[in-house]
Amino acid sequence: MDYNLSSAGEKKTNCAEQSKCFQLLESILDGENIPEADRILKEKLEKCEPCYRHFHLEMAIKELLKTKCCHQITPQDLLENIRKKVQEIK
Amino acid sequence: MSEVQRKKYSDKEKNQIFDREFMPHIDSMYNFAYRLTFDEDDAKDLVQDTYLKAYRFINSFEQGTNAKAWLFRILKNSFINDYRKKSKQPAKVDYQDVETYYNSDDVDYTSTTDLRVDAVKDMLGDEISNALNSLAVDFRTVIILCDLEGFTYEEMAKILDIPIGTVRSRLHRARNLLKEKLRSYAQTMGYNTDEEE
Repeated sequence: MDYNLSSAGEKKTNCAEQSKCFQLLESILDGENIPEADRILKEKLEKCEPCYRHFHLEMAIKELLKTKCCHQITPQDLLENIRKKVQEIK
Repeated sequence: MSEVQRKKYSDKEKNQIFDREFMPHIDSMYNFAYRLTFDEDDAKDLVQDTYLKAYRFINSFEQGTNAKAWLFRILKNSFINDYRKKSKQPAKVDYQDVETYYNSDDVDYTSTTDLRVDAVKDMLGDEISNALNSLAVDFRTVIILCDLEGFTYEEMAKILDIPIGTVRSRLHRARNLLKEKLRSYAQTMGYNTDEEE
C-alpha cells in the first residue's frame, strides 16, 4: 500500500492524500487495530508536516473532549425512579 | 451446532445483570442522553425509558457481551423512534443530507489545519462543550461514542446500524466540523489562526 511517503527524508509541507491519510491517523489515534500502526505513525509524523499537525491537533482535541465533556451529574431521582419502575414491572 | 438456545434468566439472575452490568453505566447513559436532548427532564425520561426497555428485554442480552454498547443502542433507538417523533422541536438537519454534502473528498483542510494545538489546550470546558453541542446530532453522536465513551468502530457500527467505513468517514467529517467551531473560538480568544508558516 502506498502511504505517500517522501523518500527525500525531509518533511513534506503538502500531503497529497490528506483525507485518506488523516482518516488513517485518526483510526490509529482511536486505538483501532491497524496493521503496522507504529511504523506508519512514525514515518508519517517524521516525514509529513500536515500529518504531524493533524495527529497532534486531533490528540489534543480528543483529550479535551474526554476531560471536559463527560461530567454531567446524573440526577439522584433518576436512579430512584428507575429502581421503583423496575420493581413495578416485576 | 453452534446455535445457542436463548436462555431465560431467573428473577434473581435478571436482578444481578441489571445491577451489576447495566446500572454501572448510568452516568455515561445520562451524559449521552443529555447531549442528545439538551434538556434535563428529557434526558431523564430517555434514560429511564432505556433502562425499563433493557429490563423488559433482558433475555435478549447475552451475558459476557458488551452491556454498555447494548444499552447505548437501545438509547439511540429510543431517541430516534420516540423522542424525536414527539418532540416539538423543528426537524434538525437530516444526517443523510449532511452526509451527502460532506461525502466528497473536497473537505477544506486549509481552514482547519491552521488551528493550533496550544490554542486548543488553552480552551476551557465551555468552548469544547459548545462546539460539540453545535454539531448536527449524527455528527455529535459519533464523537460522543468514540471520544467520550471510547467505543471501537465496530461497536459504534452496531450501535448506529451503519457500516464501519461509514463510522470512520462520519467521524472524520464530524471532527473537521468540530475544528471549524474551535477555530472560531480560537479567533475570539485572540489566537492568530491565519498565520502561515
